[in-house]
Amino acid sequence: MAEVVRVAIRSDADIVMVRQQARVLAKELGFSASDLTLIATALSELARNIVDYAGQGEIILSLINQGGHRGLVIIARDNGPGITDIERAMQDGYSTGKGLGMGLPGTRRLMDEFEISSGMGQGTTVKVTKWAR
Amino acid sequence: MTEEMKQNTEKTLMEELGFTEVEIARRRAFLELGDDDIQELLSINKLAKEYADPVIEAFYKHLLSFEETRVFFQDPGLLERVKRAQKAYFSRLTQGDYDNTYIEDRLNIGAVHERIGLPVKAYLGMYNFYLRNVANHLYEAYKDMPGKALRVYLSLLKVVFLDIGLAIDTYINRREQLIGKQREAMRELPTPVLQVRDRLLIIPVVGILDSYRARQLTEQLLDSISATRAKAVLMDITGVPIVDSKVANHLLQTVSAARLMGATVILTGLSPQIAQALVAIGVDLSHVRTTVDLQSGLEEAERLLGYRLVPVGERTGTNQAHV
Amino acid sequence: MKTPILKQGPYLIASLQDELTDTDLLQLQDTLVEQVGRFRSRGVILDVTMLDVMDSFATRTLRNMVQAVSLRGAEAVIVGIRPEVAFAMVQLGLDLRLSGVQTTLDLEEALVMLDHQGQGWGRHG
Repeated sequence: MAEVVRVAIRSDADIVMVRQQARVLAKELGFSASDLTLIATALSELARNIVDYAGQGEIILSLINQGGHRGLVIIARDNGPGITDIERAMQDGYSTGKGLGMGLPGTRRLMDEFEISSGMGQGTTVKVTKWAR
Repeated sequence: MTEEMKQNTEKTLMEELGFTEVEIARRRAFLELGDDDIQELLSINKLAKEYADPVIEAFYKHLLSFEETRVFFQDPGLLERVKRAQKAYFSRLTQGDYDNTYIEDRLNIGAVHERIGLPVKAYLGMYNFYLRNVANHLYEAYKDMPGKALRVYLSLLKVVFLDIGLAIDTYINRREQLIGKQREAMRELPTPVLQVRDRLLIIPVVGILDSYRARQLTEQLLDSISATRAKAVLMDITGVPIVDSKVANHLLQTVSAARLMGATVILTGLSPQIAQALVAIGVDLSHVRTTVDLQSGLEEAERLLGYRLVPVGERTGTNQAHV
Repeated sequence: MKTPILKQGPYLIASLQDELTDTDLLQLQDTLVEQVGRFRSRGVILDVTMLDVMDSFATRTLRNMVQAVSLRGAEAVIVGIRPEVAFAMVQLGLDLRLSGVQTTLDLEEALVMLDHQGQGWGRHG
């Protein structure tokens, strides 16, 4: 029942591609124009994190239905260096590289649910969910 | 599929209240309701059957002697049915197995009492009356074993308090649902966006701004700016009773988003109290244009529009060339 | 994807297309900063009406363009940020990155603004 789309992220061109894929998928759930934009923006940040910090990784988009409640789940996964201090990375204004340091905390504000797991040398997995109203 | 959907959408009271195995175990542990209590209660099951009728009769005599509770038992047929159900419940109290099914039954009974409008004070009063009656029966039956009477009574108290807790939870749950529905209705309150002049909008915001409404307001405002090519927006918050840091933040975000689109938002109607409060909690509105009332806001907006507006006719006739 | 740049009188108008990659954006920045000097442009209009996403990279690059252009002596205006994009940017906290940058609703408004600012320091033939 759940539709799943996997997109390999290797370069900035893939960031544009995964955004388009997500729009198609999210439209099926009847998200509003502004929710679609929030999702696309969050996705952009997650994909960019992969390109900037890990070089490559993948993004998995899927639809879920929890008790009649439908939503879009985005999982961004890489095998990069990982984040040693997740708490710090989740603070506004923190950045280790060329980003603006609003990737992670900003993404959390854009979405309804946010989970992250990472560790030194273990790569990073971020899972975010947006519920359709 | 349809069966699955049905299960998904219709939550049982247990699920609605978040009763899991863990939660039930936690409640029993808190009351220290253990196997020894169950043994005590099982040991008087036979005795309980003996005193069931006199207890029930006294119970309803008491209920019917008060106007407040009498109104619930006007119909004689109903009274008989309720009596039978009540008797079954009292007997159930000494049958052990205080498991999921038991909890679910108690929650449903609590919900029924809430629905017919039985006040909590009457609910508690009835339990109290029942316990006093049973205490007397136990005292009589175990005259020679006062320790046994006390042990049984304490075990019974634990189960009864478990039940009372469940009943009160159903009452609270219903009220919370009601509050939720009212909040829902409040959210439906539309916030009109009014065009006063060319490129000038007024938004009178009325009522409490929760996150949901604030977001609606922002989206509506931004869409209106785009649709009407508004250059100035007066947001009047005279009708907003509370402006805490969260609401102020919402307002700031709206102002900021409008600016990104190229429109200026002027905030009007900040009462002296709200202005003082915002300063006290450290909300920085220095980047936001504010005026004391709608009238001066309107004057400022017109100044803004008049100052910026230049006849566009000047631009016609210029050449365009691709680079 | 190449971003079309239109020359209109003393102004350059760049219409950013949907689905721009980071590389495209950086390329646009180079081109614009170079052309401002070549055409001695007084103003640069960055039209983002077509963009349905402005993430942190796009925002930062646009701000850099505005700053670089102004160092080359031209005013820059960002035009046409969509309602839902503005909302997302504020949620993401990107609005602060553009706090000193001029924005207008549409092209017409931007031209009026640049003309108005131009009057301040006199026009050259």
